[in-house]
Amino acid sequence: MKAFANIHPLVEMTYFMSVLIVSMFFSHPVLQTEALIGGILFCAALQGKKAARDIGFYLTLFLMVAVTNPLFSHNGVTPLFFLNGNPVTLEAVLYGVLLAVTVIGVLLWCKAYGEIMTSDKFLYLFGKAIPKLSLVLSMALRFIPAYLRQSRRVSRAQKAMGLYSGKSITDRVKNQARVFIAMISWSLENAMETSASMKARGYGKKGRTNFSLFRFYASDGVLLCLCLLLFMIPIMGAACGITRFTFYPRVDKIETTPAAIVVYAAFGMLALLPFILEVKEAIVWNCYRSKI
Amino acid sequence: MELLQVENLSFRYPKAERDALHQINFSVNAGEFILLCGVSGCGKTTLLRLLKKELAPVGEKSGRILYESKSLNSPEKAGFVQQNPESQIVTDKVWHELAFGLENMGAPTEVIRRRVGEMASFFGIEGWFRRKTDELSGGQKQLLNLASVMVMQPDLLILDEPTGQLDPIAAADFISTLQKINRELGLTILLAEHRLEEVFPIADRVLVLENGSVILDDKPREIGRKLSPCHPMFYAMPSAVRIRQGLETNDPYPLTVREGREFLERNFKGDTQMPTEPKLPEGDTAAELKNVWFRYEKDAPDVLRGVSLKVRCGEVFCILGGNGAGKTTALNVIAGLDRAYRGKVMIGGRTIKDYKGGALYRNNIALLPQNPQTVFVKETVRADLAEISEAMGIPKKEHKNHIEKIAAKLGISNLLDRHPYDLSGGEQQKCALAKVLLSNPKILLLDEPTKGIDAYAKQNLQKILRGLSQNGKAVILVTHDVEFAAEISDRCAFIFDGEILSADTPQKFFAENSFYTTAANRMARGLWKNAVTCEQVIECCRAEGARL
Amino acid sequence: MKKDILAVFGIVLIIALLISGTHIQSADEYYLTHIDDITPESETVTLSIRCDTVLQNYENLDPALKSAEFVPPDGVILPPTEYVLREGDTVFDILERAVRYNKIQMEFQGAKESPFGSVYIQGIHYLYEFSCGSLSGWTYRVDGEFPHYGCSLYKLSDGQNIEWIYTCALGQDVGAGWMGEDEK
Repeated sequence: MKAFANIHPLVEMTYFMSVLIVSMFFSHPVLQTEALIGGILFCAALQGKKAARDIGFYLTLFLMVAVTNPLFSHNGVTPLFFLNGNPVTLEAVLYGVLLAVTVIGVLLWCKAYGEIMTSDKFLYLFGKAIPKLSLVLSMALRFIPAYLRQSRRVSRAQKAMGLYSGKSITDRVKNQARVFIAMISWSLENAMETSASMKARGYGKKGRTNFSLFRFYASDGVLLCLCLLLFMIPIMGAACGITRFTFYPRVDKIETTPAAIVVYAAFGMLALLPFILEVKEAIVWNCYRSKI
Repeated sequence: MELLQVENLSFRYPKAERDALHQINFSVNAGEFILLCGVSGCGKTTLLRLLKKELAPVGEKSGRILYESKSLNSPEKAGFVQQNPESQIVTDKVWHELAFGLENMGAPTEVIRRRVGEMASFFGIEGWFRRKTDELSGGQKQLLNLASVMVMQPDLLILDEPTGQLDPIAAADFISTLQKINRELGLTILLAEHRLEEVFPIADRVLVLENGSVILDDKPREIGRKLSPCHPMFYAMPSAVRIRQGLETNDPYPLTVREGREFLERNFKGDTQMPTEPKLPEGDTAAELKNVWFRYEKDAPDVLRGVSLKVRCGEVFCILGGNGAGKTTALNVIAGLDRAYRGKVMIGGRTIKDYKGGALYRNNIALLPQNPQTVFVKETVRADLAEISEAMGIPKKEHKNHIEKIAAKLGISNLLDRHPYDLSGGEQQKCALAKVLLSNPKILLLDEPTKGIDAYAKQNLQKILRGLSQNGKAVILVTHDVEFAAEISDRCAFIFDGEILSADTPQKFFAENSFYTTAANRMARGLWKNAVTCEQVIECCRAEGARL
Repeated sequence: MKKDILAVFGIVLIIALLISGTHIQSADEYYLTHIDDITPESETVTLSIRCDTVLQNYENLDPALKSAEFVPPDGVILPPTEYVLREGDTVFDILERAVRYNKIQMEFQGAKESPFGSVYIQGIHYLYEFSCGSLSGWTYRVDGEFPHYGCSLYKLSDGQNIEWIYTCALGQDVGAGWMGEDEK
């Protein structure tokens, strides 16, 4: 599962931004479904069996989001039943489903983003523009796991002394508060040593450069162009009003004009791109191996 | 050629009553490997930091530090490695950490790529070059810190107790890397250390610091001869030096195990017997593990596989073993922090499950974790001690009395109003121990108690633990520190791959091992197989002493 | 972490349900309301619902609503109709009965959730606040005057004339000044 992760960060970033923009701001059932399917396949390709563990979470979240909308929004021409004098309408239910598809889709894409766009890639992209910020982020990413680990150690140490080790909520809250205070001291102490280490290695001089391990290959260029093209099509579609879709008061019909089909196809391809790449690499690798 | 000269250097921290450093004079030649030692608080760190302009502490300074006869000290020229491997790492990726210093210097990408690659392969980092820094072991982290200083091509490498937080194997690796740098690259090294067994023989010169002054500056062999056995630093000396010091002969001072062994075999025959061992305490069973199995997650491999052991009241029990063998896990299972999925854990004759709420930790069991810092949550040591007194249900009026009593017992009365984080490793540990002891445990568990503390503090800890066991407490400790285990324990156990392989008195235990044993035993095992500590070897020699 | 998200979500849902209650009716049940027959003795009020302003600002209207089905060409959603006034009826009570009887869609925010301490009418006949520009919404007038307070606080008396009017300019296009400065 390396094909997509080995692309140049600039391409990856462009790709993720394109998909996320469409799946966040376009409330069109076809595009959203494509984004969701693409997200599911991508995460499955990235995580393999591990991805299956979260199915329960996503399904429950899906149901909850889908149910929430009709409880609070009562617009729509097809009342199903009335709750406390307010109509629960088919339109609101469908819109809830679309929201759920959007939320899950965006979550999955963000998860894939987290897996692929490791901090070093992010830093590489933004490092030149905002050198300070990029370093701060890198340090934060370094600090957070260390902080969590230390905080767990402190709380176990406290438990083993019998301090607030009861299971009651007050004990636990008190313990958390104490640990948090201790962690502030620890963080400061830690920061002192880190800053000493930074100063000792010449941090703070003028003309700092940013180093990275990435190189831009021709294939990255091709992919970047493809990605931008596939992204521009839905954007144009939006400009022409093709991707407009309303649920209230009555659900629109899904457009099937040739222009609309092109938009659906383009975004579908964009959403499936990483999965296609992974599959292609798997096939190539298998062929290669069978020849050895 | 003189690389560094320190002339009449004195330093005083703001508001301090006396100098932290007083009239220090020494010089370092290019290519030398210099060892700086002294008990905690003698001014080692202050001195090292003054040598690195960017890290120099604030205070009154007098005297001169000359670098290549000029008073100039730019960051590329001197590299600095601190004690804590964790907190020195700045970024989240290994390669980025390596590049960090060069980025700061404004080096172009191609130069960084080359130098980083070169250093990574010199230090054998290729295998984890793209890993997250967070996933590395302590030894790897410290090696990374060293490598990321080395990419800046320093002329002088300053290290402040770099192996303090490492286990002995990682520490030995680190030291041998330093030796390699010194030999193969001719780099000048100034190293402060408190674990001297490995470093002492390879240093060109040793500076001994006491109360901010250099009291000795000589070759290691001469230091061994000159240092008085009453000096607190003497405990830190390599075993060979300590054994030689205990005997009256004119032989030169041996430094390594090999020299020590030659020295002993030249002078002794080994025809006397080790005096009989002291009897094992026969108290009630304090803690018992019966066929305990443990794993962290359902699908994870077993960490403990059928561990059984029994510890009696009044006994000091050491669990030894390598990294990941399950030592700490075994301790956590006894402490009730981790639950065995099979087998029984008996504390004071009852199974651990019978202790509800905090009952297990009230007058029963206490654990001193590996990092004593994690014990403290308040602004002062006193506040921390008061907190636990209160939790133990001691009336408020008696707090002060109670705390002072334990403080006097552990010798921390003068530290009570300090912030726990401002204390040295040894002091922190004593204070943490005080807090843990206030819960009046019958069983005291210690995880790596000798990590990050100097030899003098170790001696101190040993006395404290002995005192506790004489009062009928059971002390169980896990450690890497073979020397410490040999000196303190009534029984030792070796844990490997989740199983206890052997448990016996230290003399029998170490006599059976050939590699995993104390330096003193490795020197003397040809003569007296079960002489384990330096004192025992000296005793044996003296019993045979007529020949000298 | 994930469990926490679900738990928080679930708790919020349950609380919302508990607060609002769970009185479920089918659509037929709901619309099957009883309207009192007008007898000579009964006290009555007149109610009308209009959205003429939308027609004047048609270009601002939400495209989904641009149809005669949702905005009647004459702007009349409910022509003036007489309803029996029950004891203690407020403007909201009459409106609710009327839309229910006429099967007109309506959505409101209950007095408990609304910051005004009164029921707030969010939308009638699919026309919602902000459906026709950012200053649009529903307001009402009783006997030609804008009360400027919540419709569930206004107690009615015999013979009064209630008009629900859609405004596209915070009431100014229908003759209501800001806070009582009505243009007569």
